[in-house]
Amino acid sequence: MSHRTRNLFPVIAFLAAAFLYAPLNSQAQTSATQSGTSAHGERWLHVRVISTNSKGETVRVNVPLELAEKVLPAIDHDRLHNGKVRIGCMDCDGVDIRTIFEAVRSSKDGEFVTVQSNDADVSVMKKEGMLFVHVHDKNKPKHSQVEVKVPMKVVEALLSGSKDELDIVAGLHALAGQGDVELVSVKDDDNTIRVWLDSKNVTTD
Amino acid sequence: MVLLAKIALGFGATVVLAGAYTFREGLLRFDVDESRGQEHHVHVWVPAAIVPMAMHFVPREQMIRAGEQSAKFMPLVHAVAKELQRYPEAELVEVHDGEQYVRIRTHNGNLQIDAQEPGQKVHVSCPLATIDDVSRELAALAPAS
Repeated sequence: MSHRTRNLFPVIAFLAAAFLYAPLNSQAQTSATQSGTSAHGERWLHVRVISTNSKGETVRVNVPLELAEKVLPAIDHDRLHNGKVRIGCMDCDGVDIRTIFEAVRSSKDGEFVTVQSNDADVSVMKKEGMLFVHVHDKNKPKHSQVEVKVPMKVVEALLSGSKDELDIVAGLHALAGQGDVELVSVKDDDNTIRVWLDSKNVTTD
Repeated sequence: MVLLAKIALGFGATVVLAGAYTFREGLLRFDVDESRGQEHHVHVWVPAAIVPMAMHFVPREQMIRAGEQSAKFMPLVHAVAKELQRYPEAELVEVHDGEQYVRIRTHNGNLQIDAQEPGQKVHVSCPLATIDDVSRELAALAPAS
């Protein structure tokens, strides 16, 4: 073996070590490209709570819908089993929620409930496959607003389980098929709450 | 002299390769910095590759007991770790509450937890693949329900 070849040993050892490390580096690069907009059309559910009190509490939660779909069936606690929540009031005081939903689903777009009082205004309407619930509470100094927007397909999927059960996994699956949408918005004196769905894996306020 | 140089080179290369292999799966990191009153600093860095290996040296009955005690949660931990590996770079939870701060995220395939409050800082980082391996082994030891 020539002197020159022997001198190459440290270089070869270094390259071998670098090669072994290579998967970590490539992973880091892949990761960097994944920040911001997620790959493969992944859908993310975001929850943001901002409190305007002196402490300035902030909560940000970002959950990939697919992860929630896979993980929920593994939880077996209290009323949650196999991705379904058992609730005892699908037939509340003789009001069958499934029948009401079926009636709303099959009816044309429109405002179904309108309540206007000194305390609050409430409206429930269906428009372009979405169910809207709007509550305007007038009692607080700075009037609070609650807006909920739920795709009808999601409600249908939630109610697709057996009686007295909400199929959360089916609901999440249906939600994943929706475009970017703001599901819940609450604004009052102390807090701003937003729940929304998009393809970004970070919260951009 | 040349023989000694060859031995040293071989030994050095082996050390480098062994080191590279050991750290290839990342590090399990646990840092605690306390600056209230008496200062305490705990920094534990363990190559993730040795964790599943070390589990084989734990007495069998201890492992079975750990499996029994964690039986309820391990399928969930395993499912979360397995799925999170598909999201190597994600901010999952961030909470600011006055001077307290908690963040849970995945970074470079590690699950990272940072918690901070006045006078105390905790940082935990663990490769998701290691959590997956450990939870799978513990779940396998749990009694069949």
